[in-house]
Amino acid sequence: MSHIVEIRTQVKDAVAVEAACRRLHLAAPTYGSTQLYSGTASGVIVQLRDWRYPIVFNTAAGNAKFDNFNERWGKQRELDKFLQAYACEKCKIESRRQGHTVTEQPLADGSIKMTINTGGAA
Amino acid sequence: MTKIEVVISPTGETRITTLGYSGSDCQTASRFLENALGIREKETLTSEFHTSAQQQSQTEEGI
Repeated sequence: MSHIVEIRTQVKDAVAVEAACRRLHLAAPTYGSTQLYSGTASGVIVQLRDWRYPIVFNTAAGNAKFDNFNERWGKQRELDKFLQAYACEKCKIESRRQGHTVTEQPLADGSIKMTINTGGAA
Repeated sequence: MTKIEVVISPTGETRITTLGYSGSDCQTASRFLENALGIREKETLTSEFHTSAQQQSQTEEGI
């Protein structure tokens, strides 16, 4: 191997958000403004499973607004599952855009390994 | 054969590993993914990265 990079996922691609919602069998995201407990938020609106309020992604800034009141109004694991799904779909989209093939493999610890064949000899 | 492995944790953190590349080509190869996925928090260059870079430098000096 040559180098290893660790990335903190940011949600910045609405197409990948739509793909993640399909992957997790969530309702399709909507776009616009919505009311959270703390106020109004605008962006890409995703309703996670069993969450009282939707989560709103500001794809321009790469951040999100949500109110889950220390998990009383929605479990963190649902958001974690969404972020994992988003990263998988975004990885596939970008790799295919570069002309690479991608395979996916679930790992025992709950992680997902994506292998991107970039081809050529070292 | 060159490839890139991306491991996405259950909480959405991502680790990108490049395999089979020489020198700094690995950084160029994975940049499209790093930029697309989010914020780079840590980078580790492996011994193969430095060994290949040194070989390239020695070859150029011998010309």
